[in-house]
Amino acid sequence: MNPATFEKGMVFFLTILTLLVSSLLLIILATVFAKGLPALHSGFLIEASENFGREGGIIYQLMGTLILMTGAVLISLPVALGSVIYQTQYLKSETGKEICRQFAQMLNATPTILFGLVGYLFFGVYLETGVSWVTGSLILAVMILPTLQVSIREAIEALPDQYKDAGMALGLSPWSQIKTIIIPQCYYGIITGVFLGLARAAGETAAIMFAATTFSGIHLPESFSDPVPTLQTHMLVLTQEAANPEALAQAWSAGLVLLSLVFFLTVMAWILRSRLKMEAEL
Amino acid sequence: MENESHGIMWVFAGLNLIFLCCAGGLFLFLIFESYPIFKLHGFDFWLGQDWWVGEAYGALPMLYGSTLVTALACLLVLPLALAVAIFISEFLTPTSRRCVKAILELLAGVPGIVYGLLGVSFLSLWIKDVFGLLDGNTLATASCLLAIMILPTVLTLSEDAMRSVPAEYRDNALGLGLSKWQTATAVVLPQALPGIMGAVLLGIGRAMGETIAVMLVVGSLDRIPDPWFNIFSSAQTIPSKLGREAAEAIGEGTHWSALMALGLTLFIMVLLINFIGNRFLKRRSIS
Amino acid sequence: MFRMLLFFLVAIGVIPFPVSADHSPKIEIVGSTTVLPIASRAAERFEKLQKIEKFKSSHRLRILVNAGGSGVGIHSVAKGRSDIGMASREISPSERKRFEGSHLKVHTVAVDAVACVISSEIYEAGIRDLTRQEIRDIYLGKIRNWKEVGGPDRKIVVVDKERHRGTRHVFMNYIFGNPTAKTPGTILVTGSNNEEQTKIAQSDSAIGMLSYAWINDEVRAIGIRDNKSIVNLTRETIRKGNYPIVRNLSFITAGEPNGEVKAFLEYLKSPEGQQLVEESGYIPFT
Repeated sequence: MNPATFEKGMVFFLTILTLLVSSLLLIILATVFAKGLPALHSGFLIEASENFGREGGIIYQLMGTLILMTGAVLISLPVALGSVIYQTQYLKSETGKEICRQFAQMLNATPTILFGLVGYLFFGVYLETGVSWVTGSLILAVMILPTLQVSIREAIEALPDQYKDAGMALGLSPWSQIKTIIIPQCYYGIITGVFLGLARAAGETAAIMFAATTFSGIHLPESFSDPVPTLQTHMLVLTQEAANPEALAQAWSAGLVLLSLVFFLTVMAWILRSRLKMEAEL
Repeated sequence: MENESHGIMWVFAGLNLIFLCCAGGLFLFLIFESYPIFKLHGFDFWLGQDWWVGEAYGALPMLYGSTLVTALACLLVLPLALAVAIFISEFLTPTSRRCVKAILELLAGVPGIVYGLLGVSFLSLWIKDVFGLLDGNTLATASCLLAIMILPTVLTLSEDAMRSVPAEYRDNALGLGLSKWQTATAVVLPQALPGIMGAVLLGIGRAMGETIAVMLVVGSLDRIPDPWFNIFSSAQTIPSKLGREAAEAIGEGTHWSALMALGLTLFIMVLLINFIGNRFLKRRSIS
Repeated sequence: MFRMLLFFLVAIGVIPFPVSADHSPKIEIVGSTTVLPIASRAAERFEKLQKIEKFKSSHRLRILVNAGGSGVGIHSVAKGRSDIGMASREISPSERKRFEGSHLKVHTVAVDAVACVISSEIYEAGIRDLTRQEIRDIYLGKIRNWKEVGGPDRKIVVVDKERHRGTRHVFMNYIFGNPTAKTPGTILVTGSNNEEQTKIAQSDSAIGMLSYAWINDEVRAIGIRDNKSIVNLTRETIRKGNYPIVRNLSFITAGEPNGEVKAFLEYLKSPEGQQLVEESGYIPFT
């Protein structure tokens, strides 16, 4: 076999392989849509679930997921923003920066179930927030901290040096620089981080299943000590019941809704990130 | 003015401290909570084969299960990631490359519970039929599921590593009369290899910590497969064990301490893998 | 854009706040998945009753029900993390000792049987009953093929439950005389009744243990044979006490219940509550 044919053959082989991998991944999406859509009746998003989740809709589960992830971002955002600003604007020591970077990587790599267990014991038991949406939000907030940090850091580091030089030349204090230059110039970066953080929090099950969720009895939380039903744990219960076709159909539909939510948030993050890039290029 | 500025700095420093405490506190907390079991059993904790609440706490089956599941997922992902990353980065036009990468990035965010559902309703049944097994809830099922789960992440990172090889390398190689295929395999790939290793390791770290999807299909049997390489038998991984038993023991007692020690073991394993992975990625970007 | 997003986030974030000052009473129930259907149904009805009775009051009683297993139920009520625990088994002596200070009190509301169940394919192939010894040998791994007990030539998928589950305690107590017996023959371990039901239905040669209410066409209960006499699992045999593996389903409180908790437990024991027990597929406790 001459080398040219061999190469053509290999490239062809790689093409097939890539197509296979892409189609495998697309098949996964197609399956979720194909299985989820038939059971997605008109009231699915606005009805309460009935008969142990086998009938009805998922409105309260969806609200629970939204509450948890929003709470998480509201708690996490100030900490992420503050710590990144400290690390980029104030912290001078390289060792200090390296330590912060290692800690962020460590937090990012931590298995989510450990956040759930340690978070529940620390927040829920020691700080007495109990099994509640507050505990869940706090746990998720810690979990998405590195995600937010990365986006904010990227945005701040992408700022042209002239901005900082101009600020210095004007005699602005570090705080004024942050207030007038860094935060306004970086807000697309910040919001990209917010969306990515929301997406990550929305897809998480293991971290909240002990600390923040309930099977039934609560629709919307009425106080800080109430747990919420969530889409993720709702799906978990229904998945374990997969032999029952009703439950399985409901699980697929809930999965479709959850997937759409995560995809929507991710695509929003991309759109904002491309705005960010465009502005940086101007 | 100077004072106000100083005060603000302390606010930011405080927020940074909160972040550091979250990360460091988690680690210290795990050590503190798992101390009693190590005091009781010492290193035998990792060597014991029996986990029987109230009598014996041996972590070996879970340790072995976690390792085998992730190693198998790694074996499945590595060749695929290598081949597909070469193709995407070297043979696709920029537009289609961006398209493929967008899809991959989207897929990297698919929640674990959705994969769990896929695993329970399809994969475990397929594996049972294809291999003619007694039951489809096996190590192999969990590995396949994890491989599919981490594939998008690993592919994106590997492709980044390939792209980060400077364009001059390619131009020079092509200028010397090498074909596109030779350039890709003989010039770009060796340069990108550490980066690809790093990508795979980061993916593996993620796979090792996955709870829900694995818990639903691995069979949850606390026993080392017989024989030890039998990937078509049920087993248990550390996250799945934690997910199943933690609610019963939460907060106190030897059982809890043993579970936390499992958590600590998992944490250290994942951190090590991740640390090495990041080292590989960094080496690429420096050289 | 930024303002819109911020507004949106804050709007969702504050949904729980306006009412957070109002501490409406709340009962938290955690535990056995076997008892869960009773608790869930009763909670729904009881909330409605309370609403009618206390129509003018803004304090609406809410009852939270969560699964987890009997072990979790007993543990969390003893530790004060929930108001009522659900258990499908007796409190074990070691738990009694461990939670001595909590003064656990058991309120039995229903009777259930634990069935030895098999996949429908095996049932149709002719296995209708097994002896206690045969089940024991299957779980010990001494019998590995259905043909050794008169069935088709197919290996047995032995399905066990998580060690702390109430159903397992009761079943193993009958089969081995020891609620925490070790079962080397196990192939699969499952958690809730739903999960075990699914795994047995998905398999075509499985054996397992399930609560009476979870038996259906795909998961068939078999009789227990003893010296040629066979006891099948029916409502009658449970009620008469002929079927050997029966158990009480109970709610557990730490100390004497009072207030709303007491009212709820009384509702469960009332004729209306017992009607719900029947609806859930169990035998009322009299």
